[in-house]
Amino acid sequence: MSNALLARFIPEARDLLQSSASGLLRLEKSPADATAINEVFRAVHTLKGSSGLFDAVALTRLVHAAEDLLGEVRSAQRELDSDLVDMLLDSLDQVSAWIDHLERHERLPDDADRVCKAAVGRLRDRLAPAEAPASSDPPAEEKPAAEIGWIADMAEADRLALFSDAARGHPVLAVHYVPAETCFYNGEDPFGLVLQVPGLGALDVVTREPWPPLEELDPYRCNLAFRLLASGARVEVEHLFRYVSDEVRIDQVAPDALIRLAGAPAPGPLPVVEDFAEEARACLERRDWAALRTATAALLALTNPELSTASALRWLDAVSAAPFPNAAHAAALIEAVATGEPPRLGSADVEPPRPVLATLRPRPGTVPADARDAASGDVEALARRIVAAQRCVLAEAQALDRVRAHVGAVATVLARLLPGRADDGLCARIAAAARVAETDGDAGPLLDLLGTLDDATDGGTAAATTVAPGTASVVPAPGADASAGEAARDERGAARMLKVDQAKVDLLMNLIGELVVSKNSLPFLARRAEHIHGSREMAREIKDQYAVIDRLAQEMQGAIMQVRMLPVSEVFDRFPRLVRDLARKLEKRIDLVVEGEDTAADKTIIEALGDPLLHVVRNAIDHGIEPPAERRAAGKPEQATIVLKASQEADHVAIEVRDDGRGIDPAKVRAAAVAKGVVDAGAAEALSDQEAIRLIFRPGFSTAAKVSDLSGRGVGLDVVLTTVEKLGGRVAVTSRSGEGTTVRIAMPLSMAVTRVMVVEVGGEPYGIPMDIIAETVRVPRERIKTIKQAPAFVLRDTVVPLLRLARTLGCGTAAADVAAEAVLVCRIGGAPIGLVVDNFREGMDVILKPFDGVLAGMRGFSGTALLGDGHVLLVLDLKELL
Amino acid sequence: MTGKSILVVDDGITIRLFYRDVLEAAGFTVAEAANGVEGLERALLDRFDLMIVDVNMPKMNGYELVRQVRDDPALRSIPIVTISTEEKEEDALRAYRAGANLYVVKPVRPDELAATARLLTGGAA
Repeated sequence: MSNALLARFIPEARDLLQSSASGLLRLEKSPADATAINEVFRAVHTLKGSSGLFDAVALTRLVHAAEDLLGEVRSAQRELDSDLVDMLLDSLDQVSAWIDHLERHERLPDDADRVCKAAVGRLRDRLAPAEAPASSDPPAEEKPAAEIGWIADMAEADRLALFSDAARGHPVLAVHYVPAETCFYNGEDPFGLVLQVPGLGALDVVTREPWPPLEELDPYRCNLAFRLLASGARVEVEHLFRYVSDEVRIDQVAPDALIRLAGAPAPGPLPVVEDFAEEARACLERRDWAALRTATAALLALTNPELSTASALRWLDAVSAAPFPNAAHAAALIEAVATGEPPRLGSADVEPPRPVLATLRPRPGTVPADARDAASGDVEALARRIVAAQRCVLAEAQALDRVRAHVGAVATVLARLLPGRADDGLCARIAAAARVAETDGDAGPLLDLLGTLDDATDGGTAAATTVAPGTASVVPAPGADASAGEAARDERGAARMLKVDQAKVDLLMNLIGELVVSKNSLPFLARRAEHIHGSREMAREIKDQYAVIDRLAQEMQGAIMQVRMLPVSEVFDRFPRLVRDLARKLEKRIDLVVEGEDTAADKTIIEALGDPLLHVVRNAIDHGIEPPAERRAAGKPEQATIVLKASQEADHVAIEVRDDGRGIDPAKVRAAAVAKGVVDAGAAEALSDQEAIRLIFRPGFSTAAKVSDLSGRGVGLDVVLTTVEKLGGRVAVTSRSGEGTTVRIAMPLSMAVTRVMVVEVGGEPYGIPMDIIAETVRVPRERIKTIKQAPAFVLRDTVVPLLRLARTLGCGTAAADVAAEAVLVCRIGGAPIGLVVDNFREGMDVILKPFDGVLAGMRGFSGTALLGDGHVLLVLDLKELL
Repeated sequence: MTGKSILVVDDGITIRLFYRDVLEAAGFTVAEAANGVEGLERALLDRFDLMIVDVNMPKMNGYELVRQVRDDPALRSIPIVTISTEEKEEDALRAYRAGANLYVVKPVRPDELAATARLLTGGAA
């Protein structure tokens, strides 16, 4: 398996699965959305095509079954109901799981065949009953195998059904299976195997030799052979018989081989047959197949069904009902009706050139392992097929009056193919005829010449093939060198979009981060040049250069951030499905409105948003939205609405989840919080309604009386709060009882650069993330009071408790005798708190690196940052620390 | 190297890479386009010895692309192979009516793809 090819396939497959799933959901909402159905169909179709390159038969089959169903939906043969959407989504999920497995193990899981069979069965059950299992495989040969005698032994009704399938493009296979005499000892079940043949249409079980007298009979010796006709896909049949491939012969059967009359010849001339024959010939002349069928049905009703005449009429009807009725067959059958003789079929020369399906399919058993040899062996057959195709192109062009447009390419093909294959004189005449066709627009002479060529060269390549196990799937290019392919990629036709491995972008990001930090050392260098070496000139030049590098570094940083930006749709896209599934499960009616999905934010943020949002949305569906009856009673529309909205505000992205459900009752929250011991009764009463509502984010809180299987799971909304805050975001909730709840999550646009304020404590610098700092104040000693046994000061009518950071960090303080304390007012979880530090220094952008190795477990620090002078700055995690 | 160039038009990126792998290994120069519109643009830009066109594509499907190539006097003599997953005769007929020179059903074996390309470009087999 080519890894480069697989590596390309996996992301493509995921994209396609995602767009099919979202398209399906749109379709469910508005079934008439033609764009959506086309989009879904195309995505699934492309996925099928790509997957065919890999040895993932189960996956291809499942996708193919889904495509067939979608095809029916597209051609409006089928309504797309919720059950169907469920079924299709389940299939897509299965495929998605297999893609994950393929990515890790480069193959499908062992149970894939079984899973596929069940899933395909479910999908096929929904297909129109007239559709036999559609085959994913074209005929292995455009010329079917030679006559197989036993076909005529099969029941006529079965052959008629198979013929109708064949006419619709499902090739008919004749399988002759002679199990080994000892097969029972190998644990084989020949009959069981036969019954599993996909699209089994007719079965005949015969003995190989006459049964011996009973006393000599060895019941453990298999004396049976199976003959069967199936309209299944060849690869599937081959796959089924892969363990007994040498005991089975699979031939493709031409549809006309199925036409064999049954029944006794008519005893004497039948009445009205002459009239019928005349009318039928006239219909055929006009190619009026509908009229021919009517006439056929009329005579059939008058004819004894046991007679061969009736059989001929039944076949005539089947032939005329085909999408591409074969006039020669119809004519032969009409004559058979008229004369009472068996029909004389197979006179292909009276037919106009038929389209040629150059089916470049593996022909197991005829293709040696080495591709070059295989190619040279088949090349002449291929060349003949191509020449035959040119005849067809020309005949069609002639009929459509498009000769001038089409003959040029035909001439090119012939000029490339014929020299060395046809004699020089003929080649020259063909070239001349092509020129005539191009100027006159008449391809007649050229067609005549090609006809002579065809007769001379086309000996037919019909060949029965035996099954060779393991050759059914296409293997990637022999000797194709992926890296060479990559290198040549941009030579011509450069791709406009580049799919880049995330790790590469991250590496670039880190390198740029290092660059930003290293350039910070230049001002220090300038200072040293000036103060230590006394060179002002040098210092100025360094500073000038610094300015340039600084600008470039910032631009680079901006550019790479842009690369990392993803639209929130990455997260939002999973919600339509989720909301739909949960709503169905809970029997609620919910319309999800998604807004602002183009809003972009850094990849890390987008990825981290998924879980918290999931919780909030689940919570809304589970607890917020009332059942339809309750909504009706409250005078609301039965269908609830959840709005998922993203927007960019200054330097952060705001995500809002708004529902029109029952809202949060502050009184209930207070009671529940007290009952669960989250707060004591007094504290609960002291809280404002909005503050009380925030209690739902406290650990251990859940208002639901019983833990539901949706939003319960032992974790509450506190997880949302911690996750969001860890990423530097905030959560706000507003709710009106009876009207609904809005949860607002604000996230920074990017986490790559953190703005910190540097403070001094005990002579050491520490960084504090800017986003939690409300303000910095210098508080005169006398304004610091002791309130409730703790130091505090009053800032604009608010009591702000004070905390000495030196004490918290366990280090000494350098400035004990200052007149005013440096206080950093921070907001952590809503309430302000004052941090007493020794001194403030500058604010700066740093690249925050989390601790790793033995330090990874350190609490109270969010990480380190490298300063321009080479010092390491510890950045505090105040939420942990306090 | 055969020195021959082939334009591959298919909306499946994996399929395109597969064709490219096979055809480059066989000595061809390969260019890609992801749909009919891009395919036509590419065809107008460079001179190709052969076009391999997927039938089912967004924006402009394969039939339409073939038709447009045939309508353009500068392009019309480029041989075109259409490739499709549809195995029905009527689909093949549609391709031939549009003016394609060969209709091939997916999936395509690498060796036969290379052989077809060699035959249709006149490259050494």
